[in-house]
Amino acid sequence: MIPQRPESPPPPPRRRGFDWRKAFVPGLISAASILLVFGVLAWLIATNENWPRIQAQFFSLDHMMTAAPRVMRGFVINLQVWLIALACIGVWALLLAVIRSLRGPWFAPFRLMVVLYIDIFRGLPALLLVILFGFGIPALRIPGLPNSGLFWGGVAMVLCYSAYVCEIYRSGIDAVHEGQRAAAHALGLNEWQVMIYAILPQALRNVLPSLMNIVVALQKDVALLSVIGVRDSVREAQIYTASTFNYSSLVVAALLFLLATIPMARLADWITKRDRARRLQVAG
Amino acid sequence: MSDRFPLIRTLATGALMAASLAFGAQAQDTGTPDDARLINPGMLTVGTSDPVYPPWMMNDSPESGEGFENALIYALAAEMGFERDQVQWVRQTFEQIVAPGDKPFDFAINQVSVTPARAEVVGFSQVYYQSDKAVIALPGSPVLGASSFADLRDARWGAAIGTTDLAYLENVVGATDVAVYDDQVGVFQAMQAGQVDATVAAVPTALFATAVQLPEASIVAILPPDAHDEGHGLLFPHGSDLLPWVDAALGRVIAAGTVQELVNTWLVADPTLPIITE
Repeated sequence: MIPQRPESPPPPPRRRGFDWRKAFVPGLISAASILLVFGVLAWLIATNENWPRIQAQFFSLDHMMTAAPRVMRGFVINLQVWLIALACIGVWALLLAVIRSLRGPWFAPFRLMVVLYIDIFRGLPALLLVILFGFGIPALRIPGLPNSGLFWGGVAMVLCYSAYVCEIYRSGIDAVHEGQRAAAHALGLNEWQVMIYAILPQALRNVLPSLMNIVVALQKDVALLSVIGVRDSVREAQIYTASTFNYSSLVVAALLFLLATIPMARLADWITKRDRARRLQVAG
Repeated sequence: MSDRFPLIRTLATGALMAASLAFGAQAQDTGTPDDARLINPGMLTVGTSDPVYPPWMMNDSPESGEGFENALIYALAAEMGFERDQVQWVRQTFEQIVAPGDKPFDFAINQVSVTPARAEVVGFSQVYYQSDKAVIALPGSPVLGASSFADLRDARWGAAIGTTDLAYLENVVGATDVAVYDDQVGVFQAMQAGQVDATVAAVPTALFATAVQLPEASIVAILPPDAHDEGHGLLFPHGSDLLPWVDAALGRVIAAGTVQELVNTWLVADPTLPIITE
């Protein structure tokens, strides 16, 4: 049987109107689910019979306020050590990485020295280095050398972190395509010029996210200097805890660290994103 | 040292009153070795640190009963009706001992200083001993020959965390430059490295340190106790209902003169040392 021809053309597909359900429902569900889950968690915590004790022990406002000035004073030391060490590490590690990446047979002994340096300082716990340098070297009482624990502790951090950062730099240098090197040589640049004008600018932007990681890690590890008598924020918080047996001062120190590191993480994200966008534009 | 007795009495009464206020009247101040309030009924479980130092306990061996604190515990256990072999020791770090929460011991003895702030989170017995402070320094230190707190104030000091030495230096001596180390050994390392000029410690600790740990160093002067540092007490978990019993027994041990005898045996300093009081 031959189907009958429809008398009128089929109706056009329904126009897609604004579907409020599709637009809002997922968002509403997310919000409700977040509220529900976090609400239940908050309720569980708040109704726990131990909560008042936990609160008094870790989140006592009185103790936090009392401890805050000394913890902040300590945090200033953290920031100073951190910034100075950061500058030294940035330069020293770059120098090491460049030496390690130089080709040419004359550079062989220097390359070997850098490899040894990295093997030693990356292989040792930072805490050991801090104690060794902070107590050990001043104990020699060599005239002319400073004997401040702060100074030698800082030196230990720089030596240790430079080994890591050097390897990060090197990975960035190795990631630059061999053709870039060849092209720069073809332009008549010598080994140093190739490194400085062709390789490093590309290498550094490649490793920026990894470097930010180290920046954050270093900021936290400055607390290691407390074992050689430097009164940083963690030590100040510990002193308060030791005299009151209350841990709220450590929470104050924790908040200060977060306050410093979280914006850094966002900054790193932003820089990376901007850099990526710029490069893709060039490539496109 | 007999002049310190009234002070200890006063403090003891105060601590006892605070304890009875804090822990209510339902807890009993008597008991038997099989008391259900004990962590391990039949045994008296006592916490102390690992290691322990002379003269508080000799040879890192609490069980020997040689030393001030372990001898005190055996005297206290006898007073409470325990046999010598019914005392068992639990070794922890100082941090573990003082951390709030449930404890693996009935109470701990570890030269813990009683302060009102600490008493909010742990329980304390009455004070059984309060020490003078000793200034320890190496030859050539600027604090040698000091005769007043003013002479001591400008030195570079070191102190160990968790002790009351830091508060003592800042509040009583008025020192402004105090580096803080993890333990007494760290302080001595800093002294050897020339990073600090001197440290203070409880006299018995100082005697051991200058005899064994750092023989080149010597006790330069004896300083009076801090009025805000009430002295050493036994440490209990917060709200322990064992406290009244132990505290009453400790009171009897102190009243009988046993503690003073132990002080004379283990903790007496050289009477020729100079004393600085202001």
